[in-house]
Amino acid sequence: MLITVALALAAGVLALLAIAMGYALGWANRRFYVEVDPKVEAVLAALPGANCGGCGFVGCSAYAEAVAKGDTAVNLCAPGGASCAQQLADIMGVALEESFPYRAVVHCSATRNERLQRTEYRGEQTCTSANLVAGVQGCIYGCLGIGDCAAACQYDAVHVVDGLSTIDYDKCIGCGACARACPRNIITMVPFKSERMLVVACSNQDAAADVRAVCMVGCIGCKACMRAAPDLITIEGALPSINYDNYDPTDETLQKVLEKCPRKRVLFVGRPTKAELAAVADEEMPEPVQADFKTTVDDTAWRG
Amino acid sequence: MGEPEAGGGEAPGRGHALAMDTLATLILIFVGAALINNFVLHYFVGICPFLGVSRRVDTAFGMGCAVTFVISIAALLNWTFTYFVLRPGAPLPAWVWAAAGGDPATQVDLSVLSYIIYIFVIASSVQLVEMYVRKFFPPLYRSFGVYLPLITTNCAILFACLEIMKHMQDPTKVWGLHEALALAVGGGIGFTLAISLMAGIREELDLCEVPRPLKGAGIALIVAGIMAMAFMGFTGVDKGVHAALSALLR
Amino acid sequence: MPSDQPTALERFINGILPENPIYRQLLGMCPVLAVTNGMKPAMTMAAATAFVLICANVMVSLIRGLLKPHLRILVFTLTIATFVTIADRLLAAYVYDMSKQLGPYVPLIIVNCIIISRCEICASKQGAGVAIADAFGMSLGFALALASIATVREILGSGTWLGLPVLPAGWPGWGIMVLPPGAFLTLGLLLGMAEWASQRRAAVKRQGGGTR
Repeated sequence: MLITVALALAAGVLALLAIAMGYALGWANRRFYVEVDPKVEAVLAALPGANCGGCGFVGCSAYAEAVAKGDTAVNLCAPGGASCAQQLADIMGVALEESFPYRAVVHCSATRNERLQRTEYRGEQTCTSANLVAGVQGCIYGCLGIGDCAAACQYDAVHVVDGLSTIDYDKCIGCGACARACPRNIITMVPFKSERMLVVACSNQDAAADVRAVCMVGCIGCKACMRAAPDLITIEGALPSINYDNYDPTDETLQKVLEKCPRKRVLFVGRPTKAELAAVADEEMPEPVQADFKTTVDDTAWRG
Repeated sequence: MGEPEAGGGEAPGRGHALAMDTLATLILIFVGAALINNFVLHYFVGICPFLGVSRRVDTAFGMGCAVTFVISIAALLNWTFTYFVLRPGAPLPAWVWAAAGGDPATQVDLSVLSYIIYIFVIASSVQLVEMYVRKFFPPLYRSFGVYLPLITTNCAILFACLEIMKHMQDPTKVWGLHEALALAVGGGIGFTLAISLMAGIREELDLCEVPRPLKGAGIALIVAGIMAMAFMGFTGVDKGVHAALSALLR
Repeated sequence: MPSDQPTALERFINGILPENPIYRQLLGMCPVLAVTNGMKPAMTMAAATAFVLICANVMVSLIRGLLKPHLRILVFTLTIATFVTIADRLLAAYVYDMSKQLGPYVPLIIVNCIIISRCEICASKQGAGVAIADAFGMSLGFALALASIATVREILGSGTWLGLPVLPAGWPGWGIMVLPPGAFLTLGLLLGMAEWASQRRAAVKRQGGGTR
């Protein structure tokens, strides 16, 4: 009799609890229902989900909400690229203006041996901290080479080679993290209208004598580039600046500018062209090592 | 439930003493759960979020607040259930047993259902809270709502409920709701303290040269060990607090 | 069954070392730190967890066709809670002292992430045979990890192993090892050693096999 009553009571309590909670959750589901715009879900599905912040919003869900509201451009997602922009344009029913991928460009090209070092820096190993200290490096505008940009990049596209920050254009997706990380603001985002773009690879605004004192390759402000292509290049201080709105990849003057610069600081950067690849086709290239992450541990990593 | 009586006109001093005693007990339970027997550093519950969410102080603090919030609600609901249904000598089984004509000398003890009911109540209440916060406090939801499903399987919540259950097994000395809540809130605040301290230390560790094998979980556990040693210094604080409270409140 | 899912044998072998739940997946840390101050409590906990893991895996695998997606975690948790209650009562009945020593950590098996994770990853997707193999493999891995930590802590802390003295009587006994800080430090250092071993193996493989 005790066992019967105990079992019946146990079963009754559990059943009642389950029914009560079921009702409570069902009621709450209706009462606390949050209207989710189906467009937000569609946009979120189209976005790559990298949460890189390159669009200027905190994450992909924030950008999806802004796009669904209708007041934000659909082509702000750099990792998504043109295909994603097209999908977003289709979802929102807008036409897509032509846009180019933005990629990072480092406006300095002096390796460690080419620039004047002053004292050995022994502080916190970040560019931000080194930038606050006077006398670390001769050139106060150029790359410090400690690697805040490389640390900021989530896509393994920035590396410090010989003390100079270098961008791997096969991997750069244009999120802008490195540009935001650089304390000297010498990394900018440039619209890549072609695979190889002409850039000014120096940030030193001082006069020629001062530049030569601190760097073997810096821009001396001779203005030869501006004379060769006056529509494209303007001089600010003693430093040229390229207007990328007027930039036409097929223009012949680009090659002329490259030849005219005595210090060879106005260069092409980007992916190698077919001709250049053919020229090194005989050389042995090392195989990139691909990591294999597929184990029986599921992608939904339980870190409980 | 242990509420102090008004004392009537007969013994006003006795009511006052009872209230002070209750307050002293509550403070001792609270300090015990938060510092002396810290949930993370002494009882090892809640290690997984402690290692996982403690990279930045603001996210760690958010997680700690979410855990404190959920522990309190879970303790409240589970205490009610335990008091009326699950403990030895609970009213509901006794009433059903008597109604069925049973012998009043034996007791129907439903405490074997405890674990199932506790975890069910925790999971459902977390779900309800998440829905409520999402509807009425969207900024709050965006800041810590994402942690709420993680907290369902957090050992700390279930552990708090088990500790409360442990103190309700003796029918003569059953913990009241105030003692249960003191334990729960104290435990949650202790967890928040430990995880925020750990996050602060890990933020500094990011700038250091940690040997590669120890990066991540290894160094975090070693730091936790040193923190646990530091918290061991609180042993015996309960006696001091007790003495101070006795002197103050008498 | 889709052909890209691991087989039963693969699941079994994976659970022991390659995907050891403690050293590789970093799950289920709470009991690892709490019960490893001696070999006996550690092995009792390992046995209890193995029992719950195997039963829960089998049960979930049998009912996997009936699971609704948004309720499945709740169903897993309730199944596990049932088996943990059974395990707890069995321990209290047959090894009462050990059950008292383990205290609240036996019911905390309910929220042990290893079991929920195996239900989610393996049992809810594959048949009972594979689920059992997976459960055995993971339990063995868990027991090995617990044994490694408990050995260090017990020998250094009390000079005994499984209750038998293994160090000379003059051993002072490092009290810190059986207290909470010792647990954290031991686990942290052993994790570091496991990481170092696996990084060395990966480096050797890279040097031997790749063209770099």
